Amino acid sequence: MERELLKSKASKVEISDIDLAPGPFSMSFHFNLEPLKASINRFGVLNPPYLLKNSDSRFTVVAGYRRLLAVRELGWTDILCQIAPDTFRPFKALLLNLSDNITHRQLNTIEKAMVLKRLTRFLKREEIIADFMPIIGIRANKQTLELFLGLEELEEAIRASVAMERLSLRVAGLMRSIARDDRLRINDLLTSIKWSFNQQWEATQWIIEIASREGCSIKDVIDGGEITEVLNSQRMNNPQKVRSIVKTLRARRFPTLVETEKLFRKGLSHLSLPLGVKIIPPPFFEGVGYRLEIVFTKGQELKGKLAELSRFSGLEGVTDFWKGKEHR
Amino acid sequence: MKQFNISRILIEEGAEHDPLAKKILRRLPNIPIETVGPDELAPSGDIKGMDKESLRLMRFNGEFLKPCPGTRGYICCGYQILNVGTNCPMDCSYCFLQSYINQPSLRIFSNLEDNLTVIGEIIDSSPDRIFRIGTGEFTDSLSLDYITGWTDFLLPFFSRKKNSILELKTKTSSIERIIKSRHRKRIVIAWSLNTPRIIAHQEHKTASLKSRILAAQKCQKAGFVLSFHFDPLIHYPGWGKEYQETLELLERYIDPESVIWISLGSFRYLPDLKWIINRRFPGTSIFNGEFVPGLDGKFRYFKPIRVEMYSKLSQRLKKWHDDLGVYLCMESDDIWRQSLGWSPESSADLCSYLDSRVRNLVPD
Ligand code: SF4
Repeated sequence: MERELLKSKASKVEISDIDLAPGPFSMSFHFNLEPLKASINRFGVLNPPYLLKNSDSRFTVVAGYRRLLAVRELGWTDILCQIAPDTFRPFKALLLNLSDNITHRQLNTIEKAMVLKRLTRFLKREEIIADFMPIIGIRANKQTLELFLGLEELEEAIRASVAMERLSLRVAGLMRSIARDDRLRINDLLTSIKWSFNQQWEATQWIIEIASREGCSIKDVIDGGEITEVLNSQRMNNPQKVRSIVKTLRARRFPTLVETEKLFRKGLSHLSLPLGVKIIPPPFFEGVGYRLEIVFTKGQELKGKLAELSRFSGLEGVTDFWKGKEHR
Repeated sequence: MKQFNISRILIEEGAEHDPLAKKILRRLPNIPIETVGPDELAPSGDIKGMDKESLRLMRFNGEFLKPCPGTRGYICCGYQILNVGTNCPMDCSYCFLQSYINQPSLRIFSNLEDNLTVIGEIIDSSPDRIFRIGTGEFTDSLSLDYITGWTDFLLPFFSRKKNSILELKTKTSSIERIIKSRHRKRIVIAWSLNTPRIIAHQEHKTASLKSRILAAQKCQKAGFVLSFHFDPLIHYPGWGKEYQETLELLERYIDPESVIWISLGSFRYLPDLKWIINRRFPGTSIFNGEFVPGLDGKFRYFKPIRVEMYSKLSQRLKKWHDDLGVYLCMESDDIWRQSLGWSPESSADLCSYLDSRVRNLVPD
C-alpha cells in the first residue's frame, strides 16, 4: 500500500469539484467541526486530504473528509490535496481512511459501524471479526458484528443518540425489530430524560413485550396515561421519573410476579419484625431458601435481636404466601 | 411422507467413503454436490440462516453416546443422547439449537454406523443398567429418515440390546419406514405435542397435531410403545382450554396402556436465544409470558405459572389414566411436589422411576 501512496501527487483542487457526501471510504458521523475550523484558521491544513479522481473528473474523498468540510465552511474555494493514482484500489482507500482515523481519534459507535459495513464489501465476515473488530475496539464475535451492521438501517435521530452515548447500543439493536415510528418514539422517551443503559434495556424490552401481550401499539404503551403523567410531573426529579416509569412498566409486564411480591410483603407486614431484621425471598421466588438479614452494630445488639427473634411468635408462619393463587 | 427441500449436498472430505453417505447420495440423485473441508463453512448468509436446505455429510469425531447434560438446580431424567446429526429441516421458533449449535446446515454424521460397535460395547459393559437413549435431542428423529435411513439400522440394533430402549422423538408424521420395519422391541416412538395454535404459529413446517396423533395411533396399532412430550408448554391467553382440547384429541385416538411416559416441560431459554429468535422471527409472541431467570441462568416462566400449567395438565392426564409415567423435564423438587403431588427428589431417583417403567412396559 505504501508504495502506491508514494505515487500520489499533490495538486490544488477546487472544493466544488469534490463530492462532499461521506462516500464509500469516510467514516465520520455526528461530529463538531468547530475545534477543527479554529485550528485550520490558525495553522492551516497540516495534512492534505487524499482524493480519488472519478471518471467524471470529480473527486471522491479517501481521507480528510472533516478537513474538507471545515475548509468549505471557512469559505475556501480550493485546497492542496494528494491525488491517489487511478490504480489505487477501493479496499486500499478504505484501509487508508481507517488508519488515518484510528491513529488520531476515537471513533464513536456509529462510525465503527460504518467501518464494519464498508469492510463487508471486500471481506468475509469471519475476516472482519478476526482482523478488524479488535483494531477498532469491539468484542470480536458474530453476534456483535451483526449488531453493528444493523445500525445503518436505523434512522439518523437514533444513530445520533447512539453516537452521543445517550442511547445504548444494545437497545438500538433491539429497535431494529420494531417499526420506524415506534422506535423513534422509544428513542424520544429514552433521550428526553437521563436513563442508565440497563434501565433503557429493561424498559425497551418491556414496552415491546407489553404491546405484544396486550395487543396494543408501542405508542399506546408510552403515551398511555401513567407514563405521560410521570414525564409531566413537576414534583419528581429526573431519576425519580425514570424509576417511576420502570416500576410502572414492570408491574404491567410482570403482573403475577409483582402481585406475588406484594402478597409476600403483605404476609410479612403482619409480623412486625424487630427493627433492622428482614426476611428476603429467593430471587424471583425461584429457589426455595429464604434469607434472614439482621443489621447490627455490636455483638451485644445481635445477641439481643436473636433472642427477641427466638421469642417472636408468627415466624413459623413465614411461607410461600402466593401458593394456592390462580394465575391468568 | 413429507419431504423437505434440500437444495445442495456438502460432503466433507473423508465422508464420501462411508456407506451411510453413499446410501444418502443414492437417495438424492439430482441434487448438486460440493466437497468441502472439515472446517470450511459454505457461504450461508448471516446468522439468520440456519441453512436448513443444505445437507452436510460429515464424520463426527466426538462421542456418539453422551448423557444429557442436565442443568444445575433441577432434576434431570438421565437420558442418553445418541448423536446422529444436528439441526433439522423444520423451524420451530423456540428451538434451542438456534443458539446451541453455532454451525449451519443439516449435519448428518456419516460414520454413525461404524460406531455402533462402540456404542454396543458401552451398553453391554453395564448389563444391570438401563440405557434410555434418544436421537431427538439435536435433530428430529424421523424428519430426515427418508434420506438417511437411520431407522433401517438403529431399529434392529437396539431391538437386540436388552438393557436399552431407543426413543425416536418427532414432530412429523413420517412413520412409513418404521412401520415397514419388523423390529418393535425396545423401540419407543415419541411425539412432541402442542396446541394447534402453537403448532401453527411457532412450529413451522411441522405436522399438524391431528396428523401427529394419527401417526402415533398407527404406530401403536403396529405394536410400538409410545411416549409423548408436552415440551415446551407455552403460556398464553386461553392456554388452559387449548391444552385441554389437545389432551382430549390424544385421548380419543391413543390407548393409554402402552404409553411409557409423558413429559411436561415449560419453555425455557438462555438469554442468547432470545436475541436470535427476535432476529429470526420478528414480532414473535413467544416471549410474552412472565419469564424470570432460573437457578441455571435459563429464563423460565415465573414459578406459580409453571406450577399451574403442570398441575392442570397432570390432573387431566390422571383422569385419562392413572399410570402414564408423567414426569417433569428440568424442574426442581419443589415444583414437582406442588404440581404433581410427589417428587423423585433427585435425578438418580427419577432415573430409577423411568427405568422401572422400561422394565414393566417394554416387552423383552
Ligand atoms: S423439530 Fe425440534 S430440532 Fe427441529 S426445529 Fe423444531 S425444536 Fe428444533
